[in-house]
Amino acid sequence: MRLRSPGFLTIDEPRRLGITLVLPSMIIVFGFLLFPFCYSLVLSLLNYDLARPQDNGFVGLRNYGRLLQDRYFLNAVVQTAVFSSVSVVLEILLGVGIALVMNRDFPGRSLLRALIIIPWALPSIVNASMWSWILNANYGALNALLTQVGLLHAYKPWIAEPGWAMATLILANVWKETPFTVILVLAALQGVPKELREAAVVDGAGAVRRFFAITLPMIAQIVMICALLQMIWSLLHTFELVYVVTRGGPFNSTDIIPMRIYWQTFKGLRFGYGAAMAYLAALALLVPSLFYIRSAYRATVE
Amino acid sequence: MPAFRRTVSGALLAIGVIAIAVWVLAPYAWLIVSSISTKIDLLSVPLRWIPPHPTLDNYRSLFDDGQSALSQGMSFFSRSLLNSIEITFSSMAACMFFGVFTAYAVARLSFPGRKASLLLLMSSYMMPPIAIVIPGYFILKHLGLLDTQVGLILVDVTFILPLVVWIMRGFFLSIPLELEEAARIDGSSRLGALLRIILPLSAPGLVSAAVFCFIASWNEYLYAFLYTSMQARTLPVLIGEFTTKVGTDYLRMAAAGVVASLPPVALALVFQRFLIRGLTEGAVKG
Amino acid sequence: MKNRLLVSLVFLLAGATLFAQTSLTVIFPKHEADLSGSFAARVKDFEAASKITVNLIQMGWDDVNNKLTAEMASGGSAYDVVEFDNGNVAAWLGAGWVEPLDSYMPKGFTNGMIPGLLDLFTGADGKLYGIVWNNDTRFFFYNADMLKRAGIAAPPRTWDELISQSKTLMSKGIAKYGMAGFWKAEWALVNDLHFYIYTYGGKIVDNRGTFLFNKDPATLAACQEMVKFLKEGVMDPASLTYDQEAVNNIFLKGDTAFLNQGIPGIMAYAQDPSRSKVVGQIKVGLVPGGRAGVSAALTLPEAYAIPKGSKNKAAAWKFIEYMTGKTVNKKLAQDIGILPIWTEQYTDKDLVKLYPYWADFSRQMGTARGLSVLTWYNNFVDVAITESQKMLSGALAPQAALNEMADLLKDYAGKP
Repeated sequence: MRLRSPGFLTIDEPRRLGITLVLPSMIIVFGFLLFPFCYSLVLSLLNYDLARPQDNGFVGLRNYGRLLQDRYFLNAVVQTAVFSSVSVVLEILLGVGIALVMNRDFPGRSLLRALIIIPWALPSIVNASMWSWILNANYGALNALLTQVGLLHAYKPWIAEPGWAMATLILANVWKETPFTVILVLAALQGVPKELREAAVVDGAGAVRRFFAITLPMIAQIVMICALLQMIWSLLHTFELVYVVTRGGPFNSTDIIPMRIYWQTFKGLRFGYGAAMAYLAALALLVPSLFYIRSAYRATVE
Repeated sequence: MPAFRRTVSGALLAIGVIAIAVWVLAPYAWLIVSSISTKIDLLSVPLRWIPPHPTLDNYRSLFDDGQSALSQGMSFFSRSLLNSIEITFSSMAACMFFGVFTAYAVARLSFPGRKASLLLLMSSYMMPPIAIVIPGYFILKHLGLLDTQVGLILVDVTFILPLVVWIMRGFFLSIPLELEEAARIDGSSRLGALLRIILPLSAPGLVSAAVFCFIASWNEYLYAFLYTSMQARTLPVLIGEFTTKVGTDYLRMAAAGVVASLPPVALALVFQRFLIRGLTEGAVKG
Repeated sequence: MKNRLLVSLVFLLAGATLFAQTSLTVIFPKHEADLSGSFAARVKDFEAASKITVNLIQMGWDDVNNKLTAEMASGGSAYDVVEFDNGNVAAWLGAGWVEPLDSYMPKGFTNGMIPGLLDLFTGADGKLYGIVWNNDTRFFFYNADMLKRAGIAAPPRTWDELISQSKTLMSKGIAKYGMAGFWKAEWALVNDLHFYIYTYGGKIVDNRGTFLFNKDPATLAACQEMVKFLKEGVMDPASLTYDQEAVNNIFLKGDTAFLNQGIPGIMAYAQDPSRSKVVGQIKVGLVPGGRAGVSAALTLPEAYAIPKGSKNKAAAWKFIEYMTGKTVNKKLAQDIGILPIWTEQYTDKDLVKLYPYWADFSRQMGTARGLSVLTWYNNFVDVAITESQKMLSGALAPQAALNEMADLLKDYAGKP
């Protein structure tokens, strides 16, 4: 008996083929996520405090109402926005810059290209502990370096002041996440035909004009996706870094939404309130993202 | 004049390369130094950048922790290393397989629900993982998949797959439609054209997506720490446990971090080779 | 045919052994001093002695507690013996997650156990819910060498005395600071808050859940003293960024003279030249008080408990009984220096010879108190961290910070 090729390989009609190819992925992703999404939605309408079951019950939208008056949560929204937007801008600018340099020919290029992923390859928990030590006020390497080269005359408690604490967290985050941009942009740059650029050189176009006229349009799609992913990543997926380095301190100046949710659910056992927090954060993120995705979609398809 | 310009741009390039290397490698170099230091030397002021009493004890303690009785004849670290490798490669393979086909569909085929599925996939990212882990725990517990490799692979795939779709879609869109159409005129099916024309041309994208999958799964902490214990525990989870009630064993963590960062870098080096070969082949064919 | 027979035979045998042998799943954190697997070895002994197999899960303290939140919320059936931290007692009893042990315990089992450790795990119903495996009491350590060099005859008895001694040490260039505090924005900061309040004889709430902290002069005095440490310059100003690990490091490298709340293991660490520059210089003293003659200590014990969902409760109790019994308790003390839960062992000849400073420990242990017992303790911690950091950085006056805490927690007033 001859082996038959899998059925879907023979489908060629775009409607059927499209659905056949997309459906498995949707099933995998939402097979796992559908329950958490629904469960959290229901919880968010309840007073569901595991340690005080006597007070539990349906409260409608009251959790959401209380969140809008929760000083710590509102502060976390602001801090998350600051942390994410600065991080993403730096991660994109730096990432594209590094990728442009790495796309040139120089000795040791292959090696550096592999090494560049190191920050990203480091487990986040190690990254966080490393920065925690580097930033230590008594024995940290940053203080040692800056005093030894004469930029600082005494050791400084970097994460004791709100502004510096946020700045150093962003530094640590950007250091770790930039390679993601570099790798994707570098790959996109491979798709820019050399002839195009050479032709532009012959035309006498300067490096800056070449970048904006030829390179950028070719990599725009990937840069936009990068920005979106980095944004989502830093808005909702940053956890270990803050958890280890500052735990949201000093006095909530680096508190971010996932930290709030962690306190409410894992520590405070207030599952209902924590779920409302997650939903509110998701909605706040979903709406701008949908607009962004739509415009990105339009720009590429039409 | 051109010679002068070339020198200047060469110098600028050199400065750029060195700056990048320093920015990327300096903190890592410090991690390596930490991993071979004794604690008291790391605490000293003024700090000495070359450890005065270098030691490999931190590495040794990873592979010989006296816990092999509980961990199938291996140290906990080796066991986790193995778990991580198995879980990461499996989820990478699954993500790439499903991701590439789905990405092709949403990039190239018009079918009902195309846009919706793309948006739905992205919306799976809108919920903070910290809010998903507990209900997710209930599911895995119900299915009996807690502390199994399969369970964690499933979870890894659900959160990496949408990203692969988005990334690969971006790369597919940048390939001229005419190439595919030419192949179709030659009698190739759509999937045939995908495999023969589009995939080779998007080799750089495939490689970067694969590296992405690898690292995302390799480093995933939150789910892994809640869903795995002694049997399927991954490297980041084990490393996270170098903490006690009073603090972190930073030196051992540094050593473990250095070891943990090696496989992704090795993979990137291998893929680099493959990538360059893939490119030249594509160019010859093109 | 032959094959099938063999297979069914194997299954039969496997089934028989499965039914004959109870299997327990046990989860508790790794002890910070347990580098060579002493607890795991004792578990092996238990398996050999009882014919009960144990699936032992040992992870970091945070990991275990976070995992337990998820597991207990879904019934707690996965584990038979679990870590039960004293900070969780009220919340877990409120949630009804753990089984009272009284019906499993032989009569008189707890006779001779340190009374404080029993009280902390006794519910309002008078039943006992946990037996302590880690008597984690904190002590006052000082660098005797530094004090001697500065011509200071005795360690301080009050916090004000500690301030003046620190100033002497600092002005002579012997110590960089008197002390450092773990006042980073985490759980331990609130331990420290409790600790200072206790040394002034204060209390956070009463047992009906009435807030005392915002009306209690002792609490206010303790907070003012914490601020004073920083204002007088004797506390490392970077303390708001330090965790316990950093504070220990700074003490062990010889920058500070006092460690107000140190783990018992400090004495062992101080003797290890790869992590300490103060070998042979550290002594244990009585914790200074708000005024002379008052001393207090904080204890953060962790216990074994049996989840309501466990299907092997009798076997689980056997495990607890074995692991916390006098024999194993002493063995663990000899191996890794954990503090016993049995009073008699502080005068045990072998142990006293091994740890001469335990005499000082046991004197302090009589003054030890646990954390506040509240179903909403973690919500208190969340608020207390932020507001006390504001207070310590000078952004809020102590009374204002305490009022702010009361305001943020007002929903919980009167709910113990």
